[in-house]
Amino acid sequence: MKIKIMHLYPDLLNLYGDRGNIECLRRRLLWRGIDAEVVSYTCDDKGFDISDVDIIFLGGGSDREQKIVCSRLLEHKAELSAFVENGGSLVAVCGGYQLLGKYYKLEDETIEGLDILNIYTEQGKKRLIGNIVLEADFITQKIVGFENHGGRTYIGSHKPLGRVVCGYGNAEDAGAEGVIYKNVVATYLHGPLLPKNPQLCDYILKNAIKHKYPEFTDLEPIDDLLENTANDYIVKRFVK
Amino acid sequence: MRKLIAIWAGKLLTFVGKLIGRKSSSSPGAFALKIYPALVSDLNSIVKKKIIVTCGTNGKTTTNNLMCSALEAKGYKVLCNRLGANMLSGVATAYLQAADMSGRVQADYACLEIDEAYTPIVFKQIKPDVIIITNLFRDQLDRYGEIDITVDIIKKAIEEAGDVRLVLNADDPLCVQFGRASGVRAVYYGISEKVLPQVDDTKEGRFCPICGSELEFEFYHYSQLGKFRCPACGYRRPEPDYDITNVYVGTPMRFDINGSPMKINYKGFYNIYNLAGVYAALNVIGETVNDFGKLLEGYKPQIGRMQEFMFNKPVILSLSKNPAGFNQAIATVNTDERKKDVIIAINDLANDGRDVSWLWDVDFHKIKNERLNTLTTTGIRVYDISLRFKYAGIDVDMMTDSMKAAVKSALATDSKVVYVLVNYTALYPTEGVLNELQKEEGA
Repeated sequence: MKIKIMHLYPDLLNLYGDRGNIECLRRRLLWRGIDAEVVSYTCDDKGFDISDVDIIFLGGGSDREQKIVCSRLLEHKAELSAFVENGGSLVAVCGGYQLLGKYYKLEDETIEGLDILNIYTEQGKKRLIGNIVLEADFITQKIVGFENHGGRTYIGSHKPLGRVVCGYGNAEDAGAEGVIYKNVVATYLHGPLLPKNPQLCDYILKNAIKHKYPEFTDLEPIDDLLENTANDYIVKRFVK
Repeated sequence: MRKLIAIWAGKLLTFVGKLIGRKSSSSPGAFALKIYPALVSDLNSIVKKKIIVTCGTNGKTTTNNLMCSALEAKGYKVLCNRLGANMLSGVATAYLQAADMSGRVQADYACLEIDEAYTPIVFKQIKPDVIIITNLFRDQLDRYGEIDITVDIIKKAIEEAGDVRLVLNADDPLCVQFGRASGVRAVYYGISEKVLPQVDDTKEGRFCPICGSELEFEFYHYSQLGKFRCPACGYRRPEPDYDITNVYVGTPMRFDINGSPMKINYKGFYNIYNLAGVYAALNVIGETVNDFGKLLEGYKPQIGRMQEFMFNKPVILSLSKNPAGFNQAIATVNTDERKKDVIIAINDLANDGRDVSWLWDVDFHKIKNERLNTLTTTGIRVYDISLRFKYAGIDVDMMTDSMKAAVKSALATDSKVVYVLVNYTALYPTEGVLNELQKEEGA
């Protein structure tokens, strides 16, 4: 078995240790004897081809870098949308999450999004910054991370990634964080997200493998003592 | 009278702090400011010659203290926030320490390092004559939001400062932009040759701050520092007024500034920038620099700047606060050919930045080579740093919540040197542990 992971625009969107997420996906496949290939698609690359890609990762960047990425990505809107609708796995963090929506309204301009999710984002007054803990209904482990975003994302009827146990989430009073849609996991959590959330990482991997190999049943357990301890530490420290 | 009470109260607090063994680098000042808020702005009239401010992400404390040492070596009285407390309260504390019991301060110069985020507040009270900006790297993201925000803050602060001379790092595309504003008078210092291997570490500033295009580099030193040029709008590295060439990185380090040779005993390539900034600033304020090397003899590095503690083998303590700093510390560790044990401590208190995602932007995997004996992780975020290594495929030999245990264990191996790399709030406790262990050994 082999899974191909594409990091989209790591030259622009790589703000909060995103490469940790890529390493986590890759290593957790390799540790199970599953081949993993990681490719990058940068600003300088031509010939956007995601036909054999299993997991796309879209990270975070500053507002300026996000604008550049968005204009590039809009050229590939149709392919990305078809990828998601056909069950491809997409992980989007921070800026990447906002780009999946209809638009991101800043003070003086509006950035058009990919319109893959029926959500939109508006710039708020202060940045929402801090450690955050979520409870998701598809895994037993709480999801922990760090959020730092000026945007407030309104997800309409979409299913959130999780309920906020502590922290802000999509907006100050949203009570919910991120979006989970088909095999898309979109979230404001960086930290980076995946190394401290092994269950979430495995959920993403399992979906991607199943999509490519329908006969696949489940991932083998691996030693997650350190990951779980790190996760547990954050939960114990911040959830009162 | 209010001012005098403020000074006395602050001095008393410093004294009490010393009695109970606490380093009071900012709290006495904060207290004094409550009593007499105008304390800091009095500096404008007290300082006889000039106020020199240093800001920038890395190298502030070293540059500021070098500047102070150089001026003191020339026989001047200098007011300086030496300990690196760099907000308004830290400046006030420096004032208190310089004042006598009648409240008088003798100061020819003031050398002040100021935290970038606080420059607009501080410059409302103090009008600097010279501002040195060392560099801008990604730092404590949760506090500043993003680096673009820091840039805007500094631009506003420069406007607020009024008639000021800027001393800028020519190699940093983020710094150079400050010299382009109309009416600004700037000089530049830079390293004009390829020195280090061209590795691809995190370059957060690799986009043109003017037009947003990706910058081209003829060579670079580390992070985004180098000979840059924007292919789209022509923004480029200016020709340095203070030009560094013939660099030899070793012990001692050797290089030329505008053709005159220098020799220094500090570790770390980045110290060349710190020295060049001081050299340039001295020129700007009209002080002679022919005896530059001699001027710096009295300089003692602050704690944690590759500071050596002697045991049965040396233990070298290094403070880093962000990816650029850690990458430089790791590069410096790797230039040491001896077999070594490495201890890394990561905290996430307010002064460290609560967000530890930057750990994933550091090239920690480079610490692993045949000369690394054992690797130990510790600190409040011991699990995060350990995970960082796990996903880099590097085994951590020891995870502990005790720095003392970590150092003892490293001292017991057959290595020749121990490096302890810490971030900010881990620094003083680690220094405490090392002093304590030295005492125990002497006893």
